[in-house]
Amino acid sequence: MEETYEFTKEDLEEIEGIKAKFPEVMPATLPTLWVAQRRFGHVEPPVQRLVAETLGLPESHVHGVATFYTQYYKERKGKYVLDVCTTTSCQLCGGYKMLHYLEDKLGIKAGETTEDGMFSIQSVECLGACGYAPMMQITNDVYVNNLTEEKLDKVIDSLKEGEMPEFESVGMPLLENINDK
Amino acid sequence: MPEIFIDGQRYEFEEGDDRGVLQFILDQGKEVPFFCYHPAMSAPANCRQCFVKAGTPVKDRETGEFELDENGERKIRWFPKMQTSCSLGMQDGMVVKTQESDEDVARAQKDTMELILINHPLDCPICDQAGECPLQIQTYKYGPEGSRFEVKKQHKPKRVELGPRVTLDAERCINCTRCVRFTDEISESHQLTIVQRGDKNYPIAAPGREFNDPYSLNTVDICPVGALTSTDFRFKARVWEMNQTPSIDITGGKGTNVDLWTRDNLIMRITPRFNGEVNDHWMPDAGREAYKRFNENRISRPAIKLDGDNQSKTSWNNAIETFAETLESHKPEDVLVIGSPHASVEENFALMKVFNLWGVNNFKFAPHIEEGAGDGFLITDDQAPNTSGVKLLGYEESNDLSSEVSDAEIVIMLSDELIDRGTLSKEDLKGKFSILLSTNECETAAVVDLVIPVTCIAEHAASYVNVEGRIQRSFPAKETKYKDRSLDLEMNQGRLDRFGTNFDNWVTEENKVDCVPAWEIMNQLADRMGLEVKFGQSREIMEEIAGSNPAFENVSYERMDNEMGINLNTSNKQEATA
Ligand code: SF4
Ligand code: FES
Ligand code: FES
Repeated sequence: MEETYEFTKEDLEEIEGIKAKFPEVMPATLPTLWVAQRRFGHVEPPVQRLVAETLGLPESHVHGVATFYTQYYKERKGKYVLDVCTTTSCQLCGGYKMLHYLEDKLGIKAGETTEDGMFSIQSVECLGACGYAPMMQITNDVYVNNLTEEKLDKVIDSLKEGEMPEFESVGMPLLENINDK
Repeated sequence: MPEIFIDGQRYEFEEGDDRGVLQFILDQGKEVPFFCYHPAMSAPANCRQCFVKAGTPVKDRETGEFELDENGERKIRWFPKMQTSCSLGMQDGMVVKTQESDEDVARAQKDTMELILINHPLDCPICDQAGECPLQIQTYKYGPEGSRFEVKKQHKPKRVELGPRVTLDAERCINCTRCVRFTDEISESHQLTIVQRGDKNYPIAAPGREFNDPYSLNTVDICPVGALTSTDFRFKARVWEMNQTPSIDITGGKGTNVDLWTRDNLIMRITPRFNGEVNDHWMPDAGREAYKRFNENRISRPAIKLDGDNQSKTSWNNAIETFAETLESHKPEDVLVIGSPHASVEENFALMKVFNLWGVNNFKFAPHIEEGAGDGFLITDDQAPNTSGVKLLGYEESNDLSSEVSDAEIVIMLSDELIDRGTLSKEDLKGKFSILLSTNECETAAVVDLVIPVTCIAEHAASYVNVEGRIQRSFPAKETKYKDRSLDLEMNQGRLDRFGTNFDNWVTEENKVDCVPAWEIMNQLADRMGLEVKFGQSREIMEEIAGSNPAFENVSYERMDNEMGINLNTSNKQEATA
């Protein structure tokens, strides 16, 4: 039997709010998928269907949008999803090396989840942090920049403790500083 | 009038003409390669194949005059990048350079093609689309000789059954989105979408859903590559082995224009033929199934009931003799002639004329309507192609055919499976002498006393009047035992027909059915009974109808061919108001 999913009253209110922001329903697809993923932890096909029904959009459309983005989980993922960037800048700075290190360390391949349900690894496209390559993102949230094997070890250890690493904010160079040079 | 210059040549267009530059160029009989554009749908400009250079003349803001260069020519402000001509609107004075006059454009098109082909499998030798593939044709004409991409190609799903009738090979797909736009804009089932992204994307239905749109096979026609194929037709025939004959869809009342594709006197497939007044570029999937009726279960040679309920095959002479003797042993008042909305105007006319001359005046027909079956697009409640035609000829519509039959002694029926479709029952015909002119084996044919095989729409030229009162005609596509493609000027010849003889192993004599057009049967019957009537070709029969029946005034094959059908209602209305 396929699990059935339902939005809570609060979810539905939120979705109404999202819809009100756009002149048409279609653009509400992305944020509504987020609401769904937050609620159910994934957007497997039955959840995609729920989103389509809730918005009154074709199921095919929601499916197309969901599959376009690696950030939407079309299948259940581990508690922590490690999105390792393997696009050009990261690739050149060792993105694949980091990916393979993680794979060996956790004993799974990209796209898979560890048996204890703790970690999933994905190889993803550019996350817009090319200046700090190689980098990865954890469960659509914190960026971990300038990856090294040691850094990965530390991150994994702290995640196992249930601790998210700090968000590493790297400031923009200030205009004055540039002018100084 | 606004003007546009294409490759140095001046053309005029109407103010407010919203055709894109590409469509305008195509309409001039010129060419620019393209894939994603389709004249009936929106232009997303995603294949980038239709690149041209374009610019507009510079005007002096003060005077509004064109600025001229030192040679006195208009100064042109070129768009900084190449434009996709499909989505580029025409402007007064616009200058366009295509691959014909500009090497950069030719080069850009070639490079685009190289990109499109990176992951294309190039499996043309085993691909159904080969021979009618825009990608193949345009690569040959405009593409690169080789590819600089020597990396492994991306693999994608193959042989995916999208639905009951369409099979996808995702590797061949160039992601033009024509199929997706078809379900969004034309059939409005919204069943398809493009999934994934970049070099991994391809079209598919939502998970767990089927692409079972009643118009799904149109996506196979418009797919510019061999990605979408017809599950039924795939691997059955190469395009260049078939010949193509214009015809009309017989599975409904819309009169959808179609092409019949014939090889070795079998209809291999049916595809829609453009007619802006009727079906545009499209047809329902159900209409394509009709090809089976043209090939299978055909009645070949007449059959007669001799002892008890068993029919056996008989000669044409004997069939006509039996027909005539039966009539002669009865009075005209005993005879009921049942015309058919499934048969052409000419066939119904010929029957009516001969029996009328002999004195019969009981002409009925039963419409074949399925309430609620229609969809307001191309599928109609009417299940027959010529209901209006039979009516206009003067056959009386009957909703209670069985009581009509019970009053008659001889029942003559034209191509209509009346028992199969529940209008008559076997009991109704008990004790009557029943004669059926029929194309296919069916329950009705199985119980009558005399079965005479007649040609189907794929074997004769004849006209059909659709639900809107538009008369359109067919051409013979299949030879019968008595027809020869090379002698009949209305018939097309495919490569195999041209070079084949009866002794070649690709010519199968059994594929020709032993049947003749209904009007020829009427000729033989009239001749045997000494009636003064002789029908010529169906073309001449139509002339006769046009001359004698005001509803068909001025109708001729020539006009139908030139005007893609004639609307009988409007020509009558015009007369009425004139
Ligand atoms: S399957 Fe054909 S029509 Fe559909 S997107 Fe691909 S190439 Fe275009
Ligand atoms: S390439 Fe990795 S973040 Fe841009
Ligand atoms: S036809 Fe113009 S971009 Fe595809």
